[in-house]
Amino acid sequence: MKTYILQRFIQMIIVMLVVMLVSFIIVELPPGDFLTTLREQLTEQNVDPKVIDSTVEMYRARYGLGENWVIRFGKWAWSLMKGDMGYSMQHNRPASELMGERLSLTMWISIATLVFMFIVAVPIGMLSAIRQYSAWDHSFTFLALLGVSVPSFITALVFLLLSVTLLGATTVAGLFSPEYVTAEWSWAKFVDMLKHVWIILFIVGLGDTAGTIRVMRARMLDTLGEPYIDTARMKGLSSAKVYFRHALRVAINPIISSIGMRFPQIISGSTIVAIVLTLPLIGPLLLDSLLGEDVYLACSILVVLTLALVIGNFLADLALAWLDPRIRFES
Amino acid sequence: MNNAPDSDKVLDIRNLEVSFRSIAGTTRAVNGVSLDVRSGEIVGLVGESGCGKSVTIRSIVGLVPSPPARFENGEIWLRTRRGMTETVSLFKDTKALRQIRGRDVSMIFQEPMRSVHPMMTIGKQITEGILEHEVVDPAEAYERTIEMLDLVGLPNPAGQMNRYAHELSGGMRQRALIALALVCHPQLLLADEPTTALDVTIQAQILELIRDLRERMSMSVLLITHNMGVVANLADRISVMYLGKIVETGTVEEIFKEPAHPYTQGLLASMPSLFSQPKTHLQSLRGVVPELSMVPKGCVFADRCPHVMPKCDETPPVVELRADHSTACWLYADVEEPHGPDAATTLPAPSDDGAQAESVPSVDVIQLTRSEPVSDTGEAPPVDDGSVQLQIENVALHYPILRGLLRRQVGTVRAVDGVDLTIRRGETLGLVGESGCGKTSVGRLVTRLVEPSAGRLRFGADGQLEEITHISQKEMKRVRRSMGMVFQDPLSSLNARMNVRNIVGEPLMLHEIARGKAVDERVGELLEMVGLRAAHQSRFPHAFSGGQRQRIAIARALATEPSFLVADEPVSALDVSVQAQILNLLLTLQEQLSLSMLFIAHDIAVVRHVSDRIAVMYLGKIVELGNALEICVRPIHPYTEALLASIPLPMPGLETVRELPKGDLPDPANPPTGCRFHTRCPYSQPICAEEEPVLRPLSGAADHFGACHFQDELDLQGVEEIGDLSPPAVVNAGENMSNTQAT
Repeated sequence: MKTYILQRFIQMIIVMLVVMLVSFIIVELPPGDFLTTLREQLTEQNVDPKVIDSTVEMYRARYGLGENWVIRFGKWAWSLMKGDMGYSMQHNRPASELMGERLSLTMWISIATLVFMFIVAVPIGMLSAIRQYSAWDHSFTFLALLGVSVPSFITALVFLLLSVTLLGATTVAGLFSPEYVTAEWSWAKFVDMLKHVWIILFIVGLGDTAGTIRVMRARMLDTLGEPYIDTARMKGLSSAKVYFRHALRVAINPIISSIGMRFPQIISGSTIVAIVLTLPLIGPLLLDSLLGEDVYLACSILVVLTLALVIGNFLADLALAWLDPRIRFES
Repeated sequence: MNNAPDSDKVLDIRNLEVSFRSIAGTTRAVNGVSLDVRSGEIVGLVGESGCGKSVTIRSIVGLVPSPPARFENGEIWLRTRRGMTETVSLFKDTKALRQIRGRDVSMIFQEPMRSVHPMMTIGKQITEGILEHEVVDPAEAYERTIEMLDLVGLPNPAGQMNRYAHELSGGMRQRALIALALVCHPQLLLADEPTTALDVTIQAQILELIRDLRERMSMSVLLITHNMGVVANLADRISVMYLGKIVETGTVEEIFKEPAHPYTQGLLASMPSLFSQPKTHLQSLRGVVPELSMVPKGCVFADRCPHVMPKCDETPPVVELRADHSTACWLYADVEEPHGPDAATTLPAPSDDGAQAESVPSVDVIQLTRSEPVSDTGEAPPVDDGSVQLQIENVALHYPILRGLLRRQVGTVRAVDGVDLTIRRGETLGLVGESGCGKTSVGRLVTRLVEPSAGRLRFGADGQLEEITHISQKEMKRVRRSMGMVFQDPLSSLNARMNVRNIVGEPLMLHEIARGKAVDERVGELLEMVGLRAAHQSRFPHAFSGGQRQRIAIARALATEPSFLVADEPVSALDVSVQAQILNLLLTLQEQLSLSMLFIAHDIAVVRHVSDRIAVMYLGKIVELGNALEICVRPIHPYTEALLASIPLPMPGLETVRELPKGDLPDPANPPTGCRFHTRCPYSQPICAEEEPVLRPLSGAADHFGACHFQDELDLQGVEEIGDLSPPAVVNAGENMSNTQAT
């Protein structure tokens, strides 16, 4: 088990390094030098030339510009690890400042979406399998297929439309009511966010939840057909014990292993919804930075998202190893 | 309860009818089955797959999901701790059913590999059963589980408690499952093909265990199997089932001595036994078990029966032949003195398995009348005079075991570890051994489907031997024209997306033997040669039965008119009657086309039946090589003796008294030192663990080789030569009944 964790950990670090290297190459690809751009920008803003010189010099030293690429990569990577995400040319602000709140909100919403998906999809999938071809199963199959096939921004638009026309709401979009958007964090703001967040969870999580219902149903059906389920039944166990103690832990396996994958999917999937509903998430910022060729910002976001993916996978692997003795055995 | 059966019976099934509803219509899987099991008795329920055996046995404990199943009629009485209980009426009352399961009646299943929960420790799975039925404290349940594991013969039972399924071999899992089933001391054990998925030596161990536990736990057993050998040695009474009906019931002696129903006779004659005349046609039943929706009216066996008569359109009555022997057949209905037709003389000639009722153009079957094997025995001289088809020298196949992040090599699996074999033209060499011994790898090596790690392969397409060990794939293509291969699983070895014309015709097009219309013609010929219809070219594999698919695979293997055929377990996935048909076909084709053949199988009885010589393989090495009959009658290696002893003989009373090999096949990555068999060998001496014996001729017999230190001293027991080796086994079984029982 220890070697398994260590192995996964080393793999995680290797993946991170590779992603950082690729990101770095992307940063370096555009012709010209970031310093020239910066100097031009500052000059345009009529900044004192001395300040310009010192600022440019500071960046030159920090990122090792002018030295060979290995050293430059090392310095860039090092500053990334210290949390310095570089500078957004578009917004003239440090990237970390721009990402700050959006990043943590995105993380929370993603995790909450995952939990929502889990709580809703697993029981429904199980029930559909246990009562295969019942009215339950048919209705959930219908709903799940609908959920899989309708793109989330359509769901978002429909929600907007319905809440405006039917409920007469004025503040459907956004994560907060207007009066709290710029307010400092407070209990009232948090409560206000909770009021809005469930719609977002529903819209963002619907597709994944519907897909997971289908996966759970199929896996549960497979598992229930396995001979060891007959063995369990023949012990005289109650159905509940057979389903929960014997079948569920096998059937849930692929869903757990897919969690690591779903994490970035949810983040990118929420981008369109975030644009439609004007949510302060990281997705729109990434899109914005890509459109504006704001390379440092884009790369920083990419690296952070990768980190989320890699950590998600690592946790999923740990969960699987804890659940399935065969994985522990193989390592 | 007033019509409850007498207390002597543990189980009494009365006129059970179970049907299944689907979109295609209603099919009746169990059609009026009556069956009983008395105290302390082992009853065998025998029949081919698709006959409703499993549905019957699963109905007893309500394990048949309903819907789609419907219990139309009948009663199942079971002796429980509350007295006789009718279980069909309980199917809606899951609580009452649950109290019976595991406590009054238990069940073990066909696939031990998949019947143990993969994510729970063995100990937890068994204690769970105790805690469900009896209020005992967990520590006591734990102790009882260890005792039970000890009773079923698992080594180090306390250590097994914390192990998971994947850490146990198939045989150990079946032992654990038996422990699980018996831990609450049920009165009846239902065993659904408990040994079918296991190796022969392990099968023998498990059967021995069941027999032993029946005595010690004073329980009854209802055993499903398709293997007549298994019931002969284990059962007290037998019921033969065909298409949802019991066609014959009797004591094991009666059934084997005087099988009454033509189906029973056919089943017995289909099995290649260790006493049949090798290289002769088995007397197979014609056709295959039809789909349940196509069941004939009247007698269900009528369309395959050699004695069919007009009366068979009506449902035959159950005739009591003797006190404990009854059959459902018109042959006995009007005859006062029950006298079955002589199985040896009146059974039908082997014919094809195209199950269609209309007549099928049959193969030109050449009856093999000669009683001597094709070639004279004796090891081939190393001189290359064109009489040798294939010669392999010191061939090895090693797989590295890679571990860790850097895929370091931590060991080597020696799948094949230095094998020498020679196959002469027109000869069949049988390669036999348990799964994991490397026999399939040998077949893949000689066809160069895998690259040998060491050694030399030489193949003579039609003249001199030529070296093929390392020739390029392009050159190999030319050589492969002279090689054909038939695989174990006829379904997965045929591409489901290709029609038969393309499957069989592909080698023709690949080797530019034919193109266009000529392919159709040639494929048609090939199909007729293997007993199928030329007109079926456009069909896809799923439209054929297992036996027909194997015929297609044979036609494909023979498309390029090869002189050499590798048949890797070609019949082990097939039903008994179909198995006999395919073996007959292979024998016929070999004769017609003068093929040389490498016949690989785990069943030494099957191998003995088709081979001129046999090579016995154990953990990557040949341990014995010699004339097929000679090896079976006078084995010189203890492993060969063990294989022979493990085959359940279809003769009741003729129990194998020899010592069975202990334990499982060792890990091929870490084979035992010295003689690889010494860990399981009953005759093991200190030298066996130190020095590896080489394959050398037996003194005084130049054509019989063994790799045992004591082959010249040991007096091993093979299969006795019975009578003048005249077929079939059925007659022998009867004739030898009395004297074998006396011993």
